[in-house]
Formats: sequence, C-alpha cells, structure tokens
Amino acid sequence: MAQTPEPCALVIFGASGDLARRKIFPALYALAVRRLLPERFAVLGAARSEWTDEDFRRQMEAAVREFGRDEFRQDAWDRLAESTHYVALDFEHHMAGDQIARSLGEIDEERGTQGNRVYYLAVPPDAMPTLVELIGERRTAAGWTRLIVEKPFGRDQASARELNELIQHRFTEDEVFRIDHYLGKETVQNMAALRFANGIFEPIWNRQFIDHVQITVAESIGIEGRAGYYERAGAIRDIFQNHMLQLVALTAMEPPTDFTADSVRNEKVKVLKAIHTPGPKHVVRGQYGRGYIEGIEVPGYREEAGVDPASTTETYVAAKLFVDNWRWADTPFYVRTGKRLPRRETTIAIQFKRAPHPPFAEAAAEELRPNVLIVHVQPDEGVSLAIAAKVPGLGMKLRTVHMDFVYGGAFQVEMPEAYERLILDAMRGDATLFTRADEVDEQWAIVDAIVASWKRDRPAFPNYAAGTWGPPSADELLHRDGRSWRHH
Amino acid sequence: MGTAAHVEEWTGENVSLAEVEEALTMLRMESGRETEGPDLRTSVMTHIAWVPPEWHEAAWNTLEGMAERHPSRAILLIPGGAPGEDDLAARVQAAAFPLGGERRHVAAEIVELRLGARRARAPQSIVMPLLISGLPVFCRWRGRPPFGQRELEEIAGLADRLVVDSREWPQPAGDYPLLAGLFDELAVSDIAWRRTLPWRVGLARDWPEVGSCRKLAVRGPLADAHLLAGWLRARLEHEVELTVEPADEVEAVAVDGRPLPEPVSEALDPSDLLSGELETFGRDRVYEAAVRAAG
Repeated sequence: MAQTPEPCALVIFGASGDLARRKIFPALYALAVRRLLPERFAVLGAARSEWTDEDFRRQMEAAVREFGRDEFRQDAWDRLAESTHYVALDFEHHMAGDQIARSLGEIDEERGTQGNRVYYLAVPPDAMPTLVELIGERRTAAGWTRLIVEKPFGRDQASARELNELIQHRFTEDEVFRIDHYLGKETVQNMAALRFANGIFEPIWNRQFIDHVQITVAESIGIEGRAGYYERAGAIRDIFQNHMLQLVALTAMEPPTDFTADSVRNEKVKVLKAIHTPGPKHVVRGQYGRGYIEGIEVPGYREEAGVDPASTTETYVAAKLFVDNWRWADTPFYVRTGKRLPRRETTIAIQFKRAPHPPFAEAAAEELRPNVLIVHVQPDEGVSLAIAAKVPGLGMKLRTVHMDFVYGGAFQVEMPEAYERLILDAMRGDATLFTRADEVDEQWAIVDAIVASWKRDRPAFPNYAAGTWGPPSADELLHRDGRSWRHH
Repeated sequence: MGTAAHVEEWTGENVSLAEVEEALTMLRMESGRETEGPDLRTSVMTHIAWVPPEWHEAAWNTLEGMAERHPSRAILLIPGGAPGEDDLAARVQAAAFPLGGERRHVAAEIVELRLGARRARAPQSIVMPLLISGLPVFCRWRGRPPFGQRELEEIAGLADRLVVDSREWPQPAGDYPLLAGLFDELAVSDIAWRRTLPWRVGLARDWPEVGSCRKLAVRGPLADAHLLAGWLRARLEHEVELTVEPADEVEAVAVDGRPLPEPVSEALDPSDLLSGELETFGRDRVYEAAVRAAG
C-alpha cells in the first residue's frame, strides 16, 4: 500500500468540537509538518457554529499551537491553512447535503482532489444516522469515499447493529473506519511485533506458562466537565467496551497469517467470540467518592457539576474474563478501568508461573517474585521484564530486577500520536487498525450481558475514594484466587 | 562515589505530576542521546525519601553517593518546601553512570518534589503516579517519623520497607514502642541498628560471659545504646539495666563493669549505610525483638 495517500478531501463533521481542536487538527498539522499529506489535499470543516473559513482557520491555528506535539512552524501551518475551508450548517436541514456537495465540488476544482472523500464523523451518536444518510445519498461515481466513525459506536448491541445496518446500506465494509484510538498507539501495535516477530515469546504465550494476565486502563482525571456524556456511558461503555476489549483481543489472539486488515481482525473476532460472559461474581463496579489526587482534595463523582447527586453510573469496572480456547483455557484475564485512580496508566501485565523449585535455600520466598512482562501503553511507552537476579557478593541473595525497554530512549524519535496514524491510514484505505462491524457486535454482546446483570440490584455508591485503586471488592476478586492486583 | 557521565535536569514551579512524568521521559531521551544510551534501563526499586527541609542537604549528599549502586528512581518529598499551601515544585534529574570499561551506562533518576503544607498531608497520592511498576518501594524517613499521623500511615501503606535512623530522633527509647507498632504492616530497618553491628559481634564473642549480663554501660548515642540493650534483653530473655553516657559515636561498651575490646570495623559513610539497608528484603525478626525490648 502506498505511503502517501492519493489526493483527497477530508470532511470533518463536528469541526467546532473538542475532538477537532484537541486531536484531529493537531494530528493533521503533524502530518503536514512531515509532508505526509497528499500534495492535492483539502480539509472541509462542517458544524453548526456560524464561522467563516477565516474564523475556522484562526480557531484551528490556536488549537495546533496549544495541543500540537511539534513546535509551531508558520510555513507548515500556512500550507495546511490554505487548504482548509469551513461550511456552517445544520445537519438536519434538508439543504445540508447540497451545501456540502457544493463546497466539495468547488474544492475538487480548486485543489484537484478528484472526488476522493474521507468523511470524519466527530459527532455525538444521535447525529450519526442523519449524517450517514446525508453522505450516502449524495455519493457520486467519481473518486472513492471513506467514512471515519468516532466512538461510541452505539450504546448497546441493538443500537450498534442498527447503526451498522444503516452504514452498510450505503457503504461497503472496506469503506468504513470505526476508530478506537488505542489501536493507533505505537505500543499497542508493538504488542503484535513483540509476540509475532520474536521467536522467544510465542512458545510460552499460553496457559502452560502464563499464570494470568492483568490489563489496567487507569485514569487519574475525573469526568472533566463531560457529565452529560459520562452519565449515559459510564466506565463500561466509555472504556471497557472498546479499548479494554481490544487490548484483551490483541493479547490473546492467534498469530494472523499476515498483517492485513482482515487477517488481524479475523483473529481478534475469534478471541471476542471465545470470551466467556462473566457472571456477576466476576464483575465489580464502583463509583468514586471524595479523595486526594496529587495531594489535593477532589470531589466525589456525585458532586461533579452536571451529575445526578444520586447517580448510579459506574466510574470503575473490574472483571475476571476467560478466553475459552486451547491456548487460554482456565487462564484468567483480570481487567480493570476507572477514573480518579492513583495514576494514569495503561498496561498489559503478563504474569508467568513461578519457577517450580528454586533451589536457593538462602533466598526467602518473599524475595522471589514471579516473572512479569509488562507492556506499557501509556505513559512511558515501552516494555519491561521483571526477572530474579543474584545480588553480587557472597551467598545467594536474589532480588527482582526490571529491564525496561523505553521506546523514546531506544529509537530517539518522538512517537506519533494515535490520531496521526489513524487519519493517515484511513486516507490510504488501510483498515487494519480500525474495528470491524462484527468486532463491535461481539464487544457489545459481552457488555450487554454485564449491564443486564447490574439491573438486578442497586449499587451502594460511592464505594471507593478518589486516589485509591478502586473498591475493596475488586481486590477480593483476585484474593479469592490467591492473587493480587499490581498496585504500582 | 561515582561520577555521572551525563546529568540532565529540569525544574518547574507549580507543576503537575503529568509535567514531571513528561520531564522524566524527555530527560531520559536527552541523556540517551548524549551518552549513546541507555536505551535499556535497568531498575531495582523506587526509593522514596521523606526529607523535611532541615535534612535536604544531607539527603542529596547520600543520594549522590549511591545512585550508581542502585539503579532506581529516587523521589524526594520535601514537606513544607513550597510557599503556598497547595504548591508543588519539582526538580528532576536523569543521570547516566558509566559501567567500568564498557560503553554502557546505568541510569538513575532523582525527582525532588517540594510540597506545600496541605499537599504534604496526602503524600500517597503524590508518590503513586511516579512509582516504577512492579518493583519494591523503599522509603527513607529522615528525622523522627510522625507516628500516628496521616502522612506516615500513607507512606507506610505503599512502601515495602521503611528505613529510619533512630539516631535522628531526640528521644528514641520513648518512640521504639511506636515504631514497633508498624512491624506487622511493613518491613522496617534502622540505620542506627546497622551501626551497632560491630559492637553486637563483640558482645557475641563475649559468650558465655555475656549470657549472665545484668548491666550494660554504653558511651555513645542514645539510639545505639538502647538498641544494644534491647538486643541483649531479647536474646538473653532477662532484664538488662542500661546506663548511657552520651557521645556522637559508640566509643565504649561495658558488660557488668567489664569493658569490651573496641571492635575493628570499616568506617561507613551515610551512602554505604543506606545502601546496605536497600539491599535487605523481608522482616528482620532479631531487630524487631530488639526494638520491642528497647523501649
């Protein structure tokens, strides 16, 4: 597949929103700085705000200066700004489609984008059906069309299926790019490299050698003013349904025959299908109360602006999952995600079984920890391996040593933001790092079963203090199995 | 003391921990560029030091003497070290120490956090984001720990081992029962206890006479004297009366009026002493029994 995309126009619906400011435009700018955008390229922002082209450019320039990872370079910005346009419209209005089509026609003429379109739906879920229809109705035979769909993709299996059917009525699967930005992270992709490009790991990557897997997606921030969204989503829809289950799938999947979109996604779907729906005893939900973050007292979830003071929305989920296949039978995957946890951390920790008989009488058992391979997705992207080593000197004193492979240190380059990679891949038509309809469907099937079991009782929230690692029942989930969470 | 091949530093006032994490990443990259490595970092622990401002200089001196011996991340918490109640100021260093004769380096990171008074009351939430995953956490508490206070309980809750030096306490005998209250929670060691080792060896060599010891006289620091007496009481399982003549170092020990020969021992600097404690894992039951009998 070509590295540089073909000429195209990128249409961003929801262009005045937070995602465009914080992620999409800074990513486009980073691509522009590295000259990875096609020569013939244009951006068309579309939103309700009554802005002109100039207003939009000014807003996006400010966003790039604030959120961009590169030092601001006027020449690079000018190149991008010159090809940036804006159209103010009400998506529900019957003329909206014509307005977009007219603007894109002009862009094709001016910029030579040849009718190739990437539509980025950075809008709330309820706006998506209208836009899918609007875009689908006005497809032309000239050029290709691709659709980037932001999460959340539905709020349950039924709504996700409805949206998928609507999309598939207008677009083929290879034209649809459902974003889960975790898949764009270098370290997540490195999981595949680690497992399948190194002969040493795959032979031991199974139930015989691995005691269990722990996946943590922890955030120290609260809901950051997004009460409206979060009250409806909760941790299970915000993180568990997408990022968490993707990390499980990448960790557990069989080696694909090649790294093409369908080969990789076929293997991930097999894992999702093999996940045994966890029973109520294997799932813990929590909601944070008041506590301390970075030494400062922070309010509880129910005290956050816009949150129902009696809210039962979960801000924490932990689960014990089993992947029912030959490789993983009886090997638990303990997963947890939450807000207002002590640190921002996304890790996949593979804990190997202990050495069967360490013949070192002098070494106390407490000094010998099992080997753990930790994939650090964020922050400090890299991989570390905990091994036991002899302390130099007389006697046989052992201690755990961490060997850390840190991405930034090894390659001496700054890693691209996930959105840079994903936007570029969508322009190039490479869907490997995007979720397929059947993946989304399987993810929701698991989540729906969990949510259904929650409806049977009313949780006693809040049940963990901000700045702690979640409710005590999450610890019990592992203690029952003689294990414990990695707490740091 | 080794000399770092390269030291990178970042400082900031009113910072967030996310900025400190970013600084660590940035410094590690810069340090790697300057020294052709380390692209593989080896760590054995996170070392927290609770350092009230009056101990600041001593703490840095100790750290500089041991960075290359314990590849680790050291986090110095300076309570009350920032003017505003909620202020947080940081100084971050990444150092690369050359390994003899090889083109490889050992990386050490030092994060100094000066905490406003209110922040200092919730130190766990400050330290947690900076711990190295999966490795033991040692905490060196400078001065007398505030027994029963929240800051000590929080640090004790996350550390695997607490290292104190009871020589730094004004009235160690009165505080030993409070220290013993922590033993079931985490492993504790005392640099003062380590200093008494040559004298304990001397007392052991005095066997069997020492077995009937009823009176111990020590010319030396209060902490060392009480620990020696506690050790004898615990081992011999009978009362031993202690008389202390204060001095900066243990200069003389007498058993029932009979002076012991002065032991020959290598002088250890503060870095050596702390380094020794950082190589110790698990609980030291003999020490714990000595502390219980010392108070």
